[in-house]
Order: sequence, then C-alpha cells, then structure tokens
Amino acid sequence: MSGHSNYPEWIYVAVVIALMAWVGAEAWNAERLVEHIPEGAEVIKVTGQQWFWTFEHEDGTKEIGELHVEVGKAYKFEIMSKDVIHSFNIHDYVVLMDAVPGRVNTVWFAPTDVGEHDIQCREYCGLIHYNMRGTLYVEEAST
Amino acid sequence: MVLELEKPRPIWQIMFSTHHTDIGLLYLISSLAFLFLGGSLALAIRIELFAPGAQIIADSMTFNRIFTVHGTTLIFLFIIPFASAVGNYFVPIMVRYKDMAYPKLNAIAFWMIPPAAALVWLGFADFTWYAQPPYSIISAPGPAADMWIFGLKILGVSSVLGAINFVITILKCKHPDMSIGQVPLLAWSFLATSVIIIVAIPTFAAALLMLLTDRLGVSGFFNPAMGGDPIAYSHLFWFTFHPEVYVLVIPAIGMMYEIIPRFSRKPIYSYNSGVFAFVMLSLVAFSSWAHHMFATGMSFTEKTVFMVGTLAAVPASAMHVFNFIATMWNGRIKFSTPMMWAVGGIALFFAAGAGGVVNSAMPLDFSTHDSYWVVGHFHLFVMGTIAFGSIGYLYYMFPYVTGRMYNETAGKVHFFMSFVGTILVFFTQHILGLFGMPRRIFDYPPIPEWIAMNQIASVGAMIIGVSMAIFLVNMIYSSGKGQLADTEDPFGLGGKYYYPFEAKNPHH
Amino acid sequence: MKGMFELLLILAVLVMIPAVDLAFAAGDEPGEYLDRRVIIWNLFFRMMTVAFTVGAVVAGTMIWLVWRFRESHPKAKPTAYEGTDWSN
Repeated sequence: MSGHSNYPEWIYVAVVIALMAWVGAEAWNAERLVEHIPEGAEVIKVTGQQWFWTFEHEDGTKEIGELHVEVGKAYKFEIMSKDVIHSFNIHDYVVLMDAVPGRVNTVWFAPTDVGEHDIQCREYCGLIHYNMRGTLYVEEAST
Repeated sequence: MVLELEKPRPIWQIMFSTHHTDIGLLYLISSLAFLFLGGSLALAIRIELFAPGAQIIADSMTFNRIFTVHGTTLIFLFIIPFASAVGNYFVPIMVRYKDMAYPKLNAIAFWMIPPAAALVWLGFADFTWYAQPPYSIISAPGPAADMWIFGLKILGVSSVLGAINFVITILKCKHPDMSIGQVPLLAWSFLATSVIIIVAIPTFAAALLMLLTDRLGVSGFFNPAMGGDPIAYSHLFWFTFHPEVYVLVIPAIGMMYEIIPRFSRKPIYSYNSGVFAFVMLSLVAFSSWAHHMFATGMSFTEKTVFMVGTLAAVPASAMHVFNFIATMWNGRIKFSTPMMWAVGGIALFFAAGAGGVVNSAMPLDFSTHDSYWVVGHFHLFVMGTIAFGSIGYLYYMFPYVTGRMYNETAGKVHFFMSFVGTILVFFTQHILGLFGMPRRIFDYPPIPEWIAMNQIASVGAMIIGVSMAIFLVNMIYSSGKGQLADTEDPFGLGGKYYYPFEAKNPHH
Repeated sequence: MKGMFELLLILAVLVMIPAVDLAFAAGDEPGEYLDRRVIIWNLFFRMMTVAFTVGAVVAGTMIWLVWRFRESHPKAKPTAYEGTDWSN
C-alpha cells in the first residue's frame, strides 16, 4: 500500500474528466448543427440492395448506380433497403447512414462544388459488398 | 512447474487432470495455437490487400470467410482462453488456495473449447464476427453459419463456467488471513472480468438462439419480412460485446500490474486506485454499447446518452495509465523482455483510447464508421494492449512454468519488431479510414493513397509475422533446451519472483 | 513551464472557435446551408490537436521515465524498497 499523498492523481483525473466533458459538449453541438435538415430540402429516395444503389428523385426520375444533383441545393436522402443492412456513404461529403430493411433513415447534405464523388457501401452485405459502389455527379445549377 | 520436458508426464495425465495448473497449461497451449492460426489468416488478408486486384485469394467469398474466422478465432480462441490460462494457473496461488473452487467444472469449461473451435473452423462462416442479421439469416450460406452459431454458444457457456469459478475462488476460497484488500491486482482483474462475463454473456446466448430459430424460419425476431427488427439484434449483440471488450482488456492490464511494479523494483503506486479503476470499468462497461450503432438511424438523444456513457469509461482507464507511470517514477527499472512488452502495451493502450474518444464524438462517427479507422483503433487495443500484455506475461511466467529461461535477445527482437510492425499497420489504418476505405472489402479501387497505405500496413504485418515466428521458435526451443532458471529470482530483480504459496500439483 | 502559456493559449482558441460558431444559427436558405464536411472535419482537427498534445505529454513522459529510471542510468539508485520484503 502506498503511504503518500494522492493529490497528483486527483488532479490528473480531474483533467481527464474535464477533457471528456469538452469532447462531449463539442460533439453534441456539432451533431446538433449537422442533424438540422433545412426546410425545402429536396427528397431523394435511396434504395440499397445486394449489390447496387438506386435513386428516385422527387420528380420521379430514377437512376441506378449514379446520382446527379445540383450545386448549392439541399438534398435529404431517405434511405431504405430491400434485403440486408447496407450503409449509404458519400465519403467526400461525410454522408453516412445505414440502409436497414424495415425502416427509413434520413441524412442530408448540400453539395458546394461541381465534381464527381464515390458512393460506397459501408456495412458488410455479402459477396459483392466490396464493389457496391456508385458515382455522385454534382452539376451546375440549372436555372 | 508443470511443463517438464526432460521427464515428460504422460499426456493423458495432463488431459484428464482437474488440477488448476494442468488446466492452465491446456488453455495456454490451445490459445497459443489459435494465436498462430488466426494470425496466419491475418497475414493472408494483408497479402491480399497489398494491391488492388486479386493477389492470393481467389474470390471475395473466401476473403469474407477468412476475416470472419480471423476475428472469431483471435477473440474467442486466443484472447479469452489465454486469460483463462493465466487465471487458472495463478489465481489459486494468489489467493493461497489449493485449486479453483470447482476443479471438475474447470476441466469441463476447458474441454468445451476444442469442439467449439472445430465447429468454427470446419464451418468457416462469412458473416463477420458480428453475424448481423438480416444478412446472417437470409443470405449467409449454411451450414457454416449454423456451425458458427453452435460454436459460439458453446464458447459462451465455457466462459460463464470459468467466470463462476473465478468469482467463487477469489471471494470464497481465499485464505482466511487474506482480506479482500490484500488480494493482488491480477486476481482483482479476474474478479472484475468474471462479473462482467456473468452479466453480459447470457444476453448474447439469447441472441444466438433467436438467430438460429430465425435462420430455421420458425421465428422472425430479426427478420423484417416476418415483422422483426434487425436492430434488436444489434442491441442484444452490443450489450454483450461492448462489455466483452473490457473482458478482453482487463486481464491484460492485470498482467501488467504483475510486471511493471516488480521490474521497477517498487510496489504499485496505488493499489486502491487499481481496484477502484477495475471496479469502475466493469460498471461503466455497460453504459456505452450503442456507440457501435451510431449509423443505424438512432435519435439525437439516444446517441448523446451513449456518447456520454462511452466517455465515462475514459477516466477509469486513464487511472491505470497513471498508476503505471507513477509506479515507474523513481524506480530502478530492468528492461527485460516482459517489461518492454508491458510498457509498450501501455503506450499503445493510450493511443487506442485516444482514437476511441474520437469515434465516440457523434458526428465524427460519420467519417469513421465501418472504415479502416475502426480496424486500426480496435487492433491497437487487441494487439497493442492485450496481445502485448499477454505476450509479456507469457515471457514473465516462462521460467515459472518450465523452470528454464527463454532466449532474452530473441525476446527483445520479438518486441521491437512487433512494436514497429503494430505501429506501421494500425496507425496507418487510422489514416486509411479517414481517406474513406471501408472495412471488410476484398478489393479496392486504385486510389493512390489507399494503395500506398495498404502497402505500408502489409509490410508492417509481415514484420509482425516474422517476429512471431522468432517467438515460436524461442518458446519451443527454450522449453526443452533453455538454460535452467533460478526459480527464486529468474530476472534478477531482488524481490520475490512469485507468491509464497507454491502450486502443488498432485502428480509431481 | 514557459511553453505552458502558449499551450493554454492554443487550447483556449480551440474552445472559442465553436462558441463563435454558435452565433450563426443553422441556415435554412439556399447559399446559407451548413457544410457538414466543414463542421465535422473542423471538430476532428480540433480534437486531434488536443489528442496529440495530450499524447505528446503522455508519450514524452513515458520516454523520459524509461530513459531516466533504467537501471543502467549513471544516477540510478536503489529504490527505497529494495532489500525489504516489498513484493508479495
């Protein structure tokens, strides 16, 4: 047993708790901002199935494996699955949400630059999980 | 001493024995065999991922099976049995009792492992070590899936039986002159781990049974087509397996509590803090499970609750780090092989924990979920902390068990190569995850950054592989032909090497 | 301890950044939408700064300890416990 004072340890634990409180507060705040879906965001239905993504725009347009969106608009993805759990991921825009059969998950984003980005699946779904990919095309706004 | 290779005991005597040292030895040999088997699978994975395109593995299904069995083997057939080996061998000695509380039950718990392992390996399921439905119900090929389920059922029962034995032995069978506040910290770590196991495992046992009946089609717990909810499985699974990761790490930290004070030639800075931290950790282990589910569509409030629960575990882990650092302070440290492994393990434990804090910050999970960041993070725990602590302890107990010394130079080379290799593989994988590479993928697009980092990781893995080969040769050769060790003080530390109560194996 | 002031200054700034952020309510108009990438990566880099600072302190302490208290250090002296029955 130690016979010496433990005050360095108390200070250390207090610092650790303070750090964790800071992390928690920052994360809470950032999540609050990120989860706020703007009103008027255009809905895109995303369906994951083994082993490809399909998309349906508000106006009924459907796309398979590719998604065309416009710069500067806000989009809300409603994500579903037809079979097993997948996870819809546009890594460049930090968009990630599971596609769970039996429920609809939502995530939103507003692309800021014209370009092409990868869409990938981020939840193991079997044989072709590794290649369940697509492409996001962000295009100029059509006036 | 139980492993005398000069005058070998009949193998059947060890196999049918119920004495805790023999059972400890059985767990030890079995767990090390699976370390090498599971590790070989890891090498296969890293060779395959060295570059885009198929290298040595023909198709993605084989790859998927390999990583599933790799994870299942190393967690359930190496880490947990290795801890059982150490616990069985030393807990009775530490509490000064003649054996474990229930010796026959102990033997039964061990012997459940070979058939369970056979089921896992002969089946070679592909659905990852989580077996997440609906994939594991509607899409995973049987009979591999069903064999895995049965295998894990058996392993769960084995764990619980062992845990019951530890709890009773430590609390009820300890020597009358020994108060609970004098029980060594390694024994406390087994007490904490065992309590977690008893509380957490039954949930998974239920989930496994439900998964099986779902697969058979007689129920629909997790199958949406039958009105079930796959997320229910996630809750049940993670309610067990988040505490389970503490089950994995707590004994390794306990083993470091044996090594670090002795090699620093002073007692532990604060025994009470060590006990408190173990108990806190075993409680807080249960408050964070759904941080594994942040991407499933949970509400903001739910995620906040689990983030707070996750962060709450950090101070307790941090107390152990402080304890070790404060113990080494003002010591006169001998850096023999066991001490190197223990100190390296603590450094990597900190790195692992820091990465975990990042994951738990909710929005950051959108960047890191199911990417190589997670792979790097948890491997820093299971390899960097647990394997390092376990291997260090193995070197430490080598003279005790065999009466001989291993080759010290080879031991140090093993450490340095593994340390460098672990950093090369797992630190790199954190960055790889930030660049977006998902986990559990057989192949990847030829993105230059991904290729470069995968190659660095594969080189690191090869370095670890070579060091493990050196380790294997060292262990086998030294057991039979190593220099005879001074069993009073094999490391020349000046203190007592081990507890005054000798293990009296009735067969000697 | 001189570096401590600079360190605290950096950490204070890190804390202030999100406070300034809060002043802007989440935008609902086109052109005002929040860029989730910016929020998330900003948080990540701030946390990395803190993590690496703490890591440098912890790792630096351990490296110094391992060097200073190794038995082969010229100033190494027996601990107060050597020679007694300290290990049980």
